[in-house]
Amino acid sequence: MILSNKQKGYTMKFITIDKNNWTKGIDKSRETYQLFGPVKDENGCLIKKLDSDVQPDMGYYESVMSAKSVLFPQTEKILSASLDESLEDHHIMKRAENDYSPRAVLGIRPYDAKAIALVKLNFDTKEFQDPYWCDAYDVTVFVGLGITRPGPFDFSTSVGTGPFCEDDLDILLADLDDHYLAKILTPKGDAFAITCGFDTMADEKESQVLFDILRKEAEKNITSRVEINKLKDKTILDLHEADFWDDLAFSCINCGTCTYVCPTCWCFDIQDEARQKQAFRFRNWDTCMSPLFTRHATGHNPRGTKVQRVRQRFMHKLKYFLDKYDQGIMCVGCGRCVKSCPVNIDIREVCNMMNAYEKQN
Amino acid sequence: MGNLLEHMGIERDRVHFSWISSAEATKFVDVVKEISDKVKGLGLNKKFVKDYN
Amino acid sequence: MNTCIKKIRELSADLLEKGEVEKVIGFAKGTIPMATSPIAIQKKQDVNKLVFNSTCGLNLANYVSKGKGKIAVVTKGCDDRNIVTHIVENQIQRDQIYIIGVPCTGMVDKPKIAALFEDEILEFSEDNDTLTVSSLLKTQTLKKQDYLKGNCFYCTHKNPVLYDVLAADLVEEQKLDNLFPDVDQIETLDEDAKWNHFENLTKNCIRCYACRNACPLCYCPTCFVDESDPQWVGKGQDKTDVNTFHFLRAFHCAGRCTDCGACVEACPMGINVRDFTRKLNKDVLQLFGWEAGLDMIKRPPLDTYRPEDPDDFIK
Repeated sequence: MILSNKQKGYTMKFITIDKNNWTKGIDKSRETYQLFGPVKDENGCLIKKLDSDVQPDMGYYESVMSAKSVLFPQTEKILSASLDESLEDHHIMKRAENDYSPRAVLGIRPYDAKAIALVKLNFDTKEFQDPYWCDAYDVTVFVGLGITRPGPFDFSTSVGTGPFCEDDLDILLADLDDHYLAKILTPKGDAFAITCGFDTMADEKESQVLFDILRKEAEKNITSRVEINKLKDKTILDLHEADFWDDLAFSCINCGTCTYVCPTCWCFDIQDEARQKQAFRFRNWDTCMSPLFTRHATGHNPRGTKVQRVRQRFMHKLKYFLDKYDQGIMCVGCGRCVKSCPVNIDIREVCNMMNAYEKQN
Repeated sequence: MGNLLEHMGIERDRVHFSWISSAEATKFVDVVKEISDKVKGLGLNKKFVKDYN
Repeated sequence: MNTCIKKIRELSADLLEKGEVEKVIGFAKGTIPMATSPIAIQKKQDVNKLVFNSTCGLNLANYVSKGKGKIAVVTKGCDDRNIVTHIVENQIQRDQIYIIGVPCTGMVDKPKIAALFEDEILEFSEDNDTLTVSSLLKTQTLKKQDYLKGNCFYCTHKNPVLYDVLAADLVEEQKLDNLFPDVDQIETLDEDAKWNHFENLTKNCIRCYACRNACPLCYCPTCFVDESDPQWVGKGQDKTDVNTFHFLRAFHCAGRCTDCGACVEACPMGINVRDFTRKLNKDVLQLFGWEAGLDMIKRPPLDTYRPEDPDDFIK
């Protein structure tokens, strides 16, 4: 396991949470934290901000959308200005007032937190920090729920994460029927547990053994795998010119589903809107599947064809990212894109194809 | 189009179609008067209006 | 179903071997249960990749584009009507396309089947009207008729209307007293309830545009939502912008939509986008006696003028 910065220097501990006390504790935390979590509706399950009377659905199988929107909403107002010329600061864009009071995301899949760590590599670098994302990150507690029944699309173990992966989580819960066993991984997680009033200590050794058993059992149930071991040694040009892209892209309809359901896709677009005496700047999720993504003001489009766009998505996730950051591929194996793609383009197949590709001379 | 808007819950009287020649000034006035009376009667429209707050 | 697959493969192999077509567009087996993927077969030895079953809910007319060579395409009744619409709208020429028609017994509603299971579906198989679906926790046998997609349920054009060859015998068309009970139901609501219905319908829309991109009618080089000069509609998650997109896209399909249901099939958020287009289908049928894609010669109602066209909306 790789310790994230926030996990370093903290001695983790275990507590048990009786399920009878769960709701009471969670409700108590609402005084301090804005809560997010899985909510089921007729269209499946989504990670949403929880209204004060809504409890997180901890028994869900898989949410259609990931937890990335908690830090990176699909539409976020980032700047605003007044257009009233009688004011001194008219037309000057200022940071929009957003609520950065503490947040907690409950019951997310451990790989969704790992995905946040990968997204962080882009939004929080030495040179540049995205203020909106970083401010939200700093106030957010990630409470993961270990996956005991991995679904058929889950290939997390072959991409360096897994059903009980602790990377970038603050608390990892294990569901043990009448209670949760919680591994507190950071001071942030500790503070959240204290706010909830969850303080029944559990034996460290026994608990760790239990976690290891659960993890191994869950990992055993993951049957879906991809091979990524050779991707690093391939040259970009060989993969770029590989012969399979045309066939692969044929069925693609260039919708944005795969990128929007992906927990690691971070691209956005900036839009300005004005109404009466006010102007706003928004950022919206963008998708490399859309021709607009790269279209220049001149009308020229360097990725003007469908096959170029499909190739870009997989090359970015499985090759460029790997080469640039040396942190594995930009995929946590959640399988959401596999399940949601309207035409069944399967990243597992693409990944294996790229991994196995040998240039023909 | 009027039908689909109505189907989505936009009041029928907010959408008007009329054929008025440039020579029919009085018809134009009558139609505009009728439209504005009807729309005033319906009150403020809240559908298909963006809320920035 | 199996005999039809065999026939599709034989016909395709024959066409490719004789060089009559450049490629055959059909469906291939998916990598997950209840999924198929559009595929273009160019070599005779690949024809065994072609399949056809009750999960082929996308519309292959969407994959037929102007090109130099002749292509063959496997069509259900609705796909076929979209090919006719393409020809009427000058998107392709009749002689550019070889149609392998498949009389269709309906496609299944995948989200409705998935909703029966607490966990993920691992296997799906069908034998005429019987579906067998299993997850880790249970196996269920279902009657296909009870799990048809919404559009298939109301379908009165299962058989292709224009084809060069059929891959199976024609099936009996169903006779319905009312083609649009779902539209009628929304029409009984008051204005605010209608508005709430549509706001609620699209509340989870992520604007991935899968509905638009899966639709064979949406072939505009630049869609109005992608236009930036001028920009017609906001690009964010504002519900007014979201519903403006859905409303206008639906209206652009007026008199052209065959109710193939590809939009709903493609939607990752389970939105029944057809609630918009169905109203227009009902109107064009009642006002102009028109159903899209049945006739290569007649001009569509929004494309032409007849003195007897209803005009009581003009004051």
